[in-house]
Amino acid sequence: MSFGSPYTTLPDFEYHRPTSLDEALALLKQYGDEAKLMGGGVGLIAFMKERLMSPAHVIDVKEVKELKMLDNAPGKGLSIGSAVTLSELLEGGVLKRDYTVLHEALARVADPMIRRRATLVGNLCEAIPWVDSPPALIALDATVAVAGPDGRRKVPVSGFIRGPVDIDLGPSEMVTAVDIPQAKGAHSAFEKFTGGSEFSLASVAVMVSNGEKNRLARVVYGSVNSTPFRSVEVEEAIRDGITPGSVRKAADLASEKVECVDDVLATAAYRKHLLKVITTKVLRRMMSQ
Amino acid sequence: MREISVTVNGRARKRMIKDNELLLDFLREKLEVRSVKAACWRGECGLCTVLLDGQLVKSCLVLAVEADGREVKTVEGIADDGGLAPIQSAFVSHGAAQCGFCTPAWVLATHELLMSNPHPSDADLVEATSGLVCRCGTYNQIREAVAEVSATRARRQPKESLARAHR
Repeated sequence: MSFGSPYTTLPDFEYHRPTSLDEALALLKQYGDEAKLMGGGVGLIAFMKERLMSPAHVIDVKEVKELKMLDNAPGKGLSIGSAVTLSELLEGGVLKRDYTVLHEALARVADPMIRRRATLVGNLCEAIPWVDSPPALIALDATVAVAGPDGRRKVPVSGFIRGPVDIDLGPSEMVTAVDIPQAKGAHSAFEKFTGGSEFSLASVAVMVSNGEKNRLARVVYGSVNSTPFRSVEVEEAIRDGITPGSVRKAADLASEKVECVDDVLATAAYRKHLLKVITTKVLRRMMSQ
Repeated sequence: MREISVTVNGRARKRMIKDNELLLDFLREKLEVRSVKAACWRGECGLCTVLLDGQLVKSCLVLAVEADGREVKTVEGIADDGGLAPIQSAFVSHGAAQCGFCTPAWVLATHELLMSNPHPSDADLVEATSGLVCRCGTYNQIREAVAEVSATRARRQPKESLARAHR
């Protein structure tokens, strides 16, 4: 029974299920703006029910074999095809061991049933300011691999997300994978505060690596502004080590320097407070590990 | 319109569908499998949960066309010979259903959990069923039902191996 309500039905569309990347790209070229790509569909189907999107064509990429690849070549890092689900990613031990920040972010996305359908690339491409994968991917210096009629290109995740629901992707282009460089000796973690909401009110992704010459720290905040924000000030505060003193300094700087917005989920002032809390929490946890 | 063929609880079913039809509607309206409940329509309550090729998914977030050529199992399909699965008997003895609306989804999810993890911890149970809600609040009774099935299995296994050792 759909009660005739728009929220329980989907707009009319034609469904396509390509099995190769060439076939998917040909469909995209043919339909362009009229088409939407579907991975797990958890975002697209929900958006279509709300009539936020009414594509004439839905191109399901789940069966595209090139996009199902999950490569972890030694020395090369991790390459995650756009049809790889969050469950598939979480099940392999590699994420937990070498890319902890992403594991911690994804393990708390929705619930296991949703994670069996949802894909990392789908989560990223939604570009909703409150989702958790972008800050973690930026902390890991990940890049997005894009294919289109003019060939292939790579974009850093930080540049790929241009604004709320705005990504650097043409109408005939598609994301084929997310590539994460190998970070030897890296130590990373993720923390968020939801306050019982389904979305994060503030999140933080931290990666620290002990390079031979210089120690690298990346600290990225999510959910507090329209796009993820990397804070050089906080990074500077912990560059010489995570100690009780540097944690206090970093937490104060996060609250002071990271710009926050007022929106339906929380006020900017509350978010400023949360930045201090989650920065302290994540760094203390990293200090004790 | 196109014709799809889906094996539901072991039986091949063919129906004409539109591309924009949800698996939830296909099961409830076209096949009259009414244990699959329609409630929130947005993937939050989990009461439309089914097994699609052995994986628990929320059928309000799956297109019917995606199930073409695949296998769907609902609560009707978990027990053999028209009897009850152990978790179903445990739900009855612990009163784990109040209004009963969410019960099919909970039975299916906890049955699956016990199949893959015979002795789940409380944390395992909470995590595995975090996508389901029960507005009557029978969570404690559900936990007891799962614990009973888990404990029964623990008692049986050593006995069986003892019996084998004596043979």
